[in-house]
Order: sequence, then C-alpha cells, then structure tokens
Amino acid sequence: MENLANLAEINAASIETWMFYVLAALAIPFAYGVILDKAIIRSGFLLIGVFGAISGLFLILQAQFIAMAQIMIYAVGITLVVVIALMLTNPRMDLDLKPAAGNSKLTGFVVSFVLFAVIYLAIRSDAWPIKGELPAASNVAVIGQAITGQYSLPFEFASVLLLAALMGAIMLAKNEPVEPEILEYSEASGAASDAEAEALTTAR
Amino acid sequence: MPKFSQQVILGMAYAVVAAIVSGMYYSGALGAGLVSAGITLPADVASFSIVALLAAAAIFMNASPLVVLSAGTFFGFFVLSVHQEEPLVRYLCLGAVLFSIGMYGMVASRNAVRVLMSIELMLNAVNINLVAFARYVDPSEVKGQVFAIFILTVAAAEAAVGLAIVLAMYRNTATVDMEQFNLLKW
Repeated sequence: MENLANLAEINAASIETWMFYVLAALAIPFAYGVILDKAIIRSGFLLIGVFGAISGLFLILQAQFIAMAQIMIYAVGITLVVVIALMLTNPRMDLDLKPAAGNSKLTGFVVSFVLFAVIYLAIRSDAWPIKGELPAASNVAVIGQAITGQYSLPFEFASVLLLAALMGAIMLAKNEPVEPEILEYSEASGAASDAEAEALTTAR
Repeated sequence: MPKFSQQVILGMAYAVVAAIVSGMYYSGALGAGLVSAGITLPADVASFSIVALLAAAAIFMNASPLVVLSAGTFFGFFVLSVHQEEPLVRYLCLGAVLFSIGMYGMVASRNAVRVLMSIELMLNAVNINLVAFARYVDPSEVKGQVFAIFILTVAAAEAAVGLAIVLAMYRNTATVDMEQFNLLKW
C-alpha cells in the first residue's frame, strides 16, 4: 500500500511536469507569433492562445481563482479591446512601412538577451526557500480574507484606479467634434463681452 | 495533406534536431559522449550552445524564423530548467523567457498596438512568477496570488487607457507607427 501511495505521488508529480512542458511548448510559440506575425490581426488572436496557456499553468499551480480571472479578464476582455482597437486603426500598416532610421531589431535582440541572461543568473544563483507542504484546498477563501483584511487599503485603491482609468479611457476615446464647440464658445463669449461692453458704455 | 513552404519544412527539421539534442541531454547520452570524446564542457552548456548554433545556421539557411526561434527557445529552456531540478526554477525560467520575448516585441515593433500587446505579455510573465512563488514558497497564505490579482487590475486599466491613447493618436495623425510618434521629442 505504501508503495502504491508513493507511486501515485510520483505519477502526479511527473504528470504535472509533463503538463507544464506541454503548456510551455504552447505558450512560447504563441508569444513569438504575437511579436513576429506579419498580419497584426492574427497576432491579436494568438494573444488569446498565450493567455489560455498561462491560465492552464495557473491551474496546475493550484491557483484556480487566478486561472478563471485570467481567462475572463485577459483572454476575453483585454484581447477583445485589442482586436477592436486593431479594427479601428490601420491593420495593414506593417505591409507598407518606410524603413526605420535605426536598427531596432538588433537593439531589441541585445536588450532582451541581456535581460534574460541577468534574470537567469539571478534565478539559479540563490537557493530558494521552498516549502514542501501542499496549499490549502480552498485558497479562494484565503485570498478573500487577505483582500478584505490585510490588503483592504490597496484593494480600495485598486478599485479607485480602475474607475478613474475607465473614465479616462472613455474621455480619451470619445470622438468629440472639438472645433465647432470651441467656435460656439468663442462666439458666445464674444457676444457676452459685447453685451458687457455695451452695458459698460451705457453706464458711462 | 497541407502544403508547407520550404522555410517551414527547414524550421521543422531544425526542431526535430533540437529535440534530439535536448533528449540526449535529458537521458545523459550527451554528457557520456562528451566525456568519451575528452571534452570538459558541462553537458547543459554544451547542449544549449549546440541548440543556439543550430538555430543561427538554420536562420542563415533561410528557414522560417518563427518556427526556428520557437523551437530553439523551447528546447533551450527545457535544458536550462532540467539542469536545476526544482519545479519553482522551471516556472521562473518560463517567466523569464516570456518576459524577454515581450521585451523584444516592445523594443522592436513599429505598430503601437503590438507594443501594447507585448506589455500585456510581460505583465503575464510576472504573474507566472508570482503565482509560482505563492505555490512553492508561501503555500499557506498565498500572498503571491493577491499580488497577481492587483497586477490583473492594473493591466486591465493600462490596456484600456493605452488603447484609448492609440485611438486618439490615430485620429489625429492617421498612423500607428511608433516612428511617427515624436510629438514629445524635444
């Protein structure tokens, strides 16, 4: 029986490992597709694949709430906004571009490679204080208590930030005919100043 | 039978070779071969550099960069994360890879919407790190997940404001080319 339990544990660990590599093998090509695909609308849809693979990673890390929030917010919400923004701007821009002044591809490669090297050295230089215990089965309750208790002030700030950001986004994206309003305003103010001037002259 | 272009076929051939190299590393055959050949290079460094050199050669031979880079990154990442066997290090490596890809996209792309997509990719890579820390370092009170929720909130706000700014710029200048956005240049 003990052997069987050990076997089950080992199998669970190796299944988790294989699931991790499968999801990583999905996420990395999708991420490359997002930044390299010629048709930008397709890279907008590939973004859904990246977010889906990452939410699968959250599931095997036993963060069920984050995984579902990831699907709802990223894979549906943000990707929808990105695709709509692509449709409203010029999606075929990449096809008729003038060549850039500098070599931004080489710069990007050097920057990202140095960044990866630094992060990787930092990752493997230290012994991480890993705890072997399993997380609580219902960690949604733990998260809820943390958010409403210890982190209630940042949570309120986050909600205010979200409200302000959404109002600001609406204000920025609203298609207002700016010039006629300015004209009307100047005419109105001009009329007002005329009336005031008349009032002043009659008073004199 | 779908028809693949020659570029894609070359890239797939590269992927198979890289898979064989990293499989040899994983089974220990590569280390044994190095020892028998009298080369004192560590096996992980050797296989990582073989994968990278083959990638450079494949791109030079006009293989599809998308396929070659994906396969090369994946197998290099596989070698690097098997080298350190802790599961936490695997997740941190994947986070670093995705973060670097997002950084490349942010620096090198010309389309402003693609730059915003790369930033979302980088935020997601950070989220992987935070949730992995919550799972392996702090499993009892999952603080990393709380931080991940805050990052999700800020990312939603950032996406909304950023895309609204891109729309406003497009309305005024009729382009989303990053090279043309030089109004704030002094």
